[in-house]
Amino acid sequence: MSTTRHHINRQRRRQARETRPAGPPQGAPGEAHEPRPTASAGPARGAGGRGRASGTAVPSGRATDPDAGGDEKGARVRARRPAGLLVLCALTLLLGGFAGWAHAKAGALRDEPARRNTALSDPARTGEIKGQTAEAVDALFSYDHTDPGALEKAADGLLTGQAVEQHRTLLADVRERADAQKAVITTTVTDSAVERIDGDRARVLVYADQSSVSTAGSTKKAKGAKDAQDEGVYAGAMLAVDVVRRDGRWLVSGIDTFGR
Amino acid sequence: MRGRLEHPMKRAVRALAGTRPLPALALALTLVAGGFAVWAGQDWYDAAHDDRAAYAGQRDAVLAAGEQAVQNLNTLDHRDVNRGLDLWESSTTGELHEQLITGRTEFADQVKAAKTVTTARVLSGAVTELDDRAGRARVLVALRVTVKADDGAKTDKDSRMLGELTRTDGRWKLSALGQAPVGGTSDG
Repeated sequence: MSTTRHHINRQRRRQARETRPAGPPQGAPGEAHEPRPTASAGPARGAGGRGRASGTAVPSGRATDPDAGGDEKGARVRARRPAGLLVLCALTLLLGGFAGWAHAKAGALRDEPARRNTALSDPARTGEIKGQTAEAVDALFSYDHTDPGALEKAADGLLTGQAVEQHRTLLADVRERADAQKAVITTTVTDSAVERIDGDRARVLVYADQSSVSTAGSTKKAKGAKDAQDEGVYAGAMLAVDVVRRDGRWLVSGIDTFGR
Repeated sequence: MRGRLEHPMKRAVRALAGTRPLPALALALTLVAGGFAVWAGQDWYDAAHDDRAAYAGQRDAVLAAGEQAVQNLNTLDHRDVNRGLDLWESSTTGELHEQLITGRTEFADQVKAAKTVTTARVLSGAVTELDDRAGRARVLVALRVTVKADDGAKTDKDSRMLGELTRTDGRWKLSALGQAPVGGTSDG
């Protein structure tokens, strides 16, 4: 009787044990203890066996822990288990529900139009966009009849998408007139503000001064530009420029002259 | 003795099957759910207490108030001058407000005599500066002003407005307004 039990227990235990090393130095003393507590705690065996599975997961505890104690504990665990399981399930649902809800809330907050637009709230990027847009507008709307290549170069390097065509249309007239009058047109951005930044796209409102001066074939560009300050015909322009970031540079992708 | 010869992995699998799988699984799920809850909660908190977001909200409030105020100050109907000028006064604060009050009677007489109807449309606007704490901001507003004369003739004029706003009693109001100067000299 005892031998059979012993054998069954051994098999059960072997199945139940997770981390117990199979070496004989630990197995042998454990098995030597076995019969006594098993006989006394017979009725609780079923539960005790399973309860112990976790109790004996730490191999060192096994030799000192009497099996009877493990069985009592097992019985307690068994009594608590359905309640514990229910609590765990409820907790899981609650936590999961909260996680989903909080995630949705955070997502909704981040998707607010005000937040998606980082104009001004990202000062570094706002400054970068303002600076590069002003430079681009200066270059794209200035024309020296003695150096038409400069405008071509600016157009090639600073424009993209539909802005290429818009720029050509806008400047066609200006170039023709400037060539006829041997004029130098200088555009200087006086004020600008970033309306919107959405990732790699932005829109900038630009106020610029345009001076047009006849230089009658002067090759001294610097002097011509300086003279323009004194004698030039000035006009104030306003435009909204769409820019897009490509390879670390902001390129003009759209020019809005407000129907003028 | 057989156990010693078994592959450790096989033993581990069998051992796992032998433990109570349901509570273990439930506990694991609870821990995972707890992890997600902590992460999502933190994320939500960060999103809700984002300084940049609050600043962005102020920026949009400034722009909306600025555009509206600039439009108000470029809108006037000679048939209803008083209501128009009341709106001007309610849109402004500080020095600009004082100026409007001082010149009100004279200006109202001029408009009534000229019989003009002035309307304005904001083409575009943007905030250039915003000091959230001090309650000061600057805006650019591109405006198209249409003046309808007594004989029905309409003229359009684009204005490049520069406005300064000051927060008074929680509301943003214009404290200065002018046109961007052309060629170094003001034309407005």
